[in-house]
Amino acid sequence: MTHGRSATLAPAPLAPAIRAGPGYWLSSLWWMLRFDFGQARQWAATMVLVQVLMGSGMALMYGFFYPRVTPVIAAYIATGTPALALIPLGFVMLPGQVGQQKLAGTFDFIWSLPVPRTAQAMSTFLLYTVLSLPGMVLALVVATFRYGVTLSISPEIAPAAVLCSLMAVSVGFGMALAIPNPMITNVITNTLVFVVLLFSPIVFPPGNLPGWLFAVHRALPFYNMAVVIRAGLTHGLVTGVTQSFLILTAWTVAASAVTAWVVGRRR
Amino acid sequence: MAITAIRPTGEVRSGAAEWARAFRAMIRWNLLSLRLWLALIASVQVLAGAGFVLGIALFFDHIPASAALYVTTGVPVINLILVGLVLGPQLVADQKIQHSYEFLRTLPVPQTAVAAAWYTVCLISGIPGVLISLLIAEARYQITLAPSPQIVPAILLTAFTGTMMGYAIGHAVPSPMTTRLITQLLIFAMFGFTPILFPVGQLPGWLGTVNWWLPFGHMATIVRAGLTTGMVTGVATSYLVVAVWGAASAVLAAWAMGRRR
Repeated sequence: MTHGRSATLAPAPLAPAIRAGPGYWLSSLWWMLRFDFGQARQWAATMVLVQVLMGSGMALMYGFFYPRVTPVIAAYIATGTPALALIPLGFVMLPGQVGQQKLAGTFDFIWSLPVPRTAQAMSTFLLYTVLSLPGMVLALVVATFRYGVTLSISPEIAPAAVLCSLMAVSVGFGMALAIPNPMITNVITNTLVFVVLLFSPIVFPPGNLPGWLFAVHRALPFYNMAVVIRAGLTHGLVTGVTQSFLILTAWTVAASAVTAWVVGRRR
Repeated sequence: MAITAIRPTGEVRSGAAEWARAFRAMIRWNLLSLRLWLALIASVQVLAGAGFVLGIALFFDHIPASAALYVTTGVPVINLILVGLVLGPQLVADQKIQHSYEFLRTLPVPQTAVAAAWYTVCLISGIPGVLISLLIAEARYQITLAPSPQIVPAILLTAFTGTMMGYAIGHAVPSPMTTRLITQLLIFAMFGFTPILFPVGQLPGWLGTVNWWLPFGHMATIVRAGLTTGMVTGVATSYLVVAVWGAASAVLAAWAMGRRR
């Protein structure tokens, strides 16, 4: 824009209304959802497909490691796969996506938009929670079909699945925001997923672990995810469900607090 | 006014000595260009090897001795082909994205020396992982392995076929995105859907048949034959299948690199 031209323009009038309040926040959330889902159109289909393939693939491959799949092993594998399908999305793909946004500069652009950052964060949460559900459900369907497991589904599964998605997405988002260097996030998340897939009592009973490792897992989110989902799908296979719900809630709150702190501070 | 033709340099660069010089130069080239990766490669090798050897016990209440033996003798295959088959194609894909691919192709070295140097680097980066995995497995499961001289050709051929398959994927697949996808699928399939870490009988029949035509299970057979006695049969067939895959991949890579674009 040249100086001559800008001199002829009148200054823009101030916006008549103060931009605050729940109404403004909700309309911001709506706009951010449109923005995020619009962006996601490019890769959402691929992501859901990878999610479905990985989830069902893991459901099948764990069975190959056993000389004989007993009904108990089958029940553990089948009811563990929804949690397994969720972990790569929340803990690897989401931080990876945010890392790419940071490298490409999109991240700073989004923060410069005139919408509350809490609305932006909530929009990301919702997008990834929605994306995670098809993989979870299909992995479960494949596993029950493959192992001939009869599930007894209770209404508890709904809050369990939502809390697990929310927790995974919050922790992934919190990590991606709190760690400045995307490369470090990448190494951490990839190591994490390997350790989780091998050493977490998700597809096998916790009794297989040495005592100290189980003690660690009671405080970490992964085992507790498996417990609440399993409780919603079976009768009498798990105990201590309330405690697992509490620990997952604590992780969600802590991760949201980290997110809020990073989002709120000035740079 | 006469223009004199420019005289070509006096010597023709060919022969065994020139090949050996190019081979040494390319080994140095590979090691220097991987220097940032070496620590990462080493830690991934140890994590993958030791991680699987130790982690598999958690799947069971009490791990059966045969399951432990299968994992112990299968993990070396993964250590041997991880760099050549998974990292190799991704490095070539990165070169294509960064446009250093064409530059590397113009270097005045024979392509066979380039390939041989890369194979040597892959082999060297795999062997420490193999040793560490085997030592951890022996300590954890009280397994006594009986290595025979047969292990030498088994290791050399497994690493060769893995490296050449990676070489063929990297050079023959034009799109770097597709290369990345293929390698990620391969690593997933290698751990879960091929009889490397468990006996073929634990797969459904049709998947076992598919795997007979693929090299991965046969690589595990020849490595097992070198580490144990009486555990596997049909070793000669397995050597043949792995060698055919290695040769076919090498031919495919040579075709992809030799054609005009």
